Amino acid sequence: MRIACNPRAGAGSSPPRAATPSAPALPCSLPERPLSWQGVGEEGGGSLPKAARLAALREALARLGALAPGEGLRHIPLGLPQVEAYLPGPGLACGVLHEVAAGHGDRPAAFGFLLALTATALRARPGPAVLVATTRALADFGEPYGHGLAQLGLDLGRLLLVAARNDRDALWAMEEALRSGAAAAVAGAMTGSPDLTAGRRLNLAAAPHATPLLLLRPAGTAGVSAAASRWRIAAAPAARDRFGAFAHPRWCVVLERCRNGRSGEWLIEWNHVAHRFRLVESVADRAPARRPGLRRAG
Amino acid sequence: MLVAPGQGGARIVSLNRAAQQAGLAAGDLLSNARSKVLDLEVGDADPAADAAALSRLALWCLRYTPTVAPWDEAGGADGLFLDITGCAHLLGGEEALLTDLERRLRAFGLDPRLAVADTAGAAWAVAHCGAPTDRIVPPGGEREALRRLPLAALRLSTDSQALLRRLGLRRIGELADRPRAPFAARFSPEVLLRLDQALGRAPEPLVPVAPPPLYRAQAAFLEPILSAEHVLEAATRLLGRLARDLAEADAGARVLRLLLFRVDGGVQSLDIGLAAPSRDPAHIAQLLGLRLYRLGSGLEADFGFEAAAVHVLAAEPLAGRQDRLGLDGEGTPPEALACLIDRLQQRLGAGAVRRLQPRASHIPERAVRAAPPSPHAFLSRRSRRGGVAEREHAAWVDGAAASRPLLMLPRPEPAEVVALIPDGPPRQFRWRGVLHQVAQAEGPERIAPEWWRAMEEATRDYYVVEDDAGRRFWLYRAGLYGRDAAPPRWFVHGVLA
Repeated sequence: MRIACNPRAGAGSSPPRAATPSAPALPCSLPERPLSWQGVGEEGGGSLPKAARLAALREALARLGALAPGEGLRHIPLGLPQVEAYLPGPGLACGVLHEVAAGHGDRPAAFGFLLALTATALRARPGPAVLVATTRALADFGEPYGHGLAQLGLDLGRLLLVAARNDRDALWAMEEALRSGAAAAVAGAMTGSPDLTAGRRLNLAAAPHATPLLLLRPAGTAGVSAAASRWRIAAAPAARDRFGAFAHPRWCVVLERCRNGRSGEWLIEWNHVAHRFRLVESVADRAPARRPGLRRAG
Repeated sequence: MLVAPGQGGARIVSLNRAAQQAGLAAGDLLSNARSKVLDLEVGDADPAADAAALSRLALWCLRYTPTVAPWDEAGGADGLFLDITGCAHLLGGEEALLTDLERRLRAFGLDPRLAVADTAGAAWAVAHCGAPTDRIVPPGGEREALRRLPLAALRLSTDSQALLRRLGLRRIGELADRPRAPFAARFSPEVLLRLDQALGRAPEPLVPVAPPPLYRAQAAFLEPILSAEHVLEAATRLLGRLARDLAEADAGARVLRLLLFRVDGGVQSLDIGLAAPSRDPAHIAQLLGLRLYRLGSGLEADFGFEAAAVHVLAAEPLAGRQDRLGLDGEGTPPEALACLIDRLQQRLGAGAVRRLQPRASHIPERAVRAAPPSPHAFLSRRSRRGGVAEREHAAWVDGAAASRPLLMLPRPEPAEVVALIPDGPPRQFRWRGVLHQVAQAEGPERIAPEWWRAMEEATRDYYVVEDDAGRRFWLYRAGLYGRDAAPPRWFVHGVLA
């Protein structure tokens, strides 16, 4: 509990800020004696009842606590106003679980999307990114390759790879990383989907430090989930530059469910140099996208 | 008695008291022995098993002192030296220690002969040839104690012993009283060296069975403990004691060893490594708990553990840190990260946590190395100074100009590819039973093996292909048409986002 003498933190002197979902829970062991707290009630106590003074103290601490988690990043910015209009905030909220699902063949594309979000989060917060992967989750397609990750825009000097034998160990590792508060972002890849209890535990662990939390899971396995948003990724033909070579990866991104938001479908491109997403087209506004015809190789 | 093959047939290696009283001696031929005594129980000598049992006993004796040295061949290979300097008072004195040790060894079924002296040589002599009543040699009293012992108690070679006997010398006292120069001239230097070692004039280094720890804390229990929780509780108390010692020395532990001594004489040891020096008992106890959890049923308590010890094997300087008000948890970010890495490694295994480092190789599978994590390497980019971190970052950035896969298969998998001969890009390919039509291919990127491996490996032409569903693969053709004898084969090496 951080205690500071702030003369402006008097009761009623400024309107209380809206409670953010990541305000820390206050300890219940406040002292019983009246505090000689500058600014909270009069000096020497007595004019304000104890309950009111406690309430003012709590509010002051909540305000101070709102500034606590470091850099103040509350959302992972996507940089796409059309997409963020469907989300409750200006980006993906930090401190809650976001699930990314993909079919088996689209798993690498979903992994790329996950890493793009992680790279965005890394730029705004200090510390390493922790990537927890169950062995079989990605093993069908291989191991994360350093140069490929670097080409996607991830700073590999700040990446910590954790290999877990099964989903239970992976969930435990993610929870440990979130609780320690040392991670800038935590991303996980699992073979199954976390159930409601596990999802709630992850949310609870991510809340105090407002750590961005992303999870990759196979599609079609989840029922009820504690995630704040559920995405589904499919691979899409990559953007071409003017010579016809591959320039930037593109993904078909579907926001299936979002708490306090709407669902939508877009085609998004990731610029790994500028670390920015770019909206190619909004699929929901048109007829289902037609794939470009078969082009001759070469 | 135990026999082993020797010159002329099987020879006796060791025998019990009854056989000795019947007139047999070690080294006799078995056939001669059988003719002297009618019924003999004979077994094969197994020196390897004997050595293993001796080392187990040496480990068990670590409960008394950290320096335990088994005897080498010259000493007979059937005993131990225990350096009890500074340890005797913990058990109530040397006599009490000897009594306790003898009681436990007899409970194991052994027949021990013990002695305590200032020097290793004197202790060996008194244990072998001394009377059981005065087995503790008072400090400085080696000369008196050794005076009446036979020369065999000095661990001399048989030639020297025979020569000395021929000269009429039988007791150590006679040898010690005489002037040294004639012996130095006529005998090998070993004679005088052994005498000096026994009397304390020359040093005798002991080779301990385990490297002695820098700090240690030890406790014995009234009742043997069986469960992991009790073990953890005991270890936490020992760690509290160690934390005080470490704090006085401004050091933090990097490698710790927990030794659990079983009632039946076995010893179980667990090693814990830390990413950053620490002397926080709570943190280390948590790691021990995770390690015990990972052991699962591997913690064989059998009849229980009767003593436990924590040894610090490696320590590093750790300056004191003033606790800051208002921070909960582990404090500054590098410490929190080090604690996180420790916990992850203890529960998931030492190789489970790693970071990637570039390696100077143009072959893709050798261009990346998994390295153990170090907490100080994970500072934010803005605060990193030049040197290793900058060079590493530069190596990643210009590591590969061409596309590299996001996920790379550990072993490239063969694929059936339809492509234009001799060096056209793939048109369609079948991988893992699924047929993919190629919409666009990019390449080729030619990667040739290093010249010293050019015989075994083939030149590769890499292509990034995209199928009509938008998925991208990294294929290569191994070998070249017309140049290599065998037709080239195609492989899938990785996938891209």
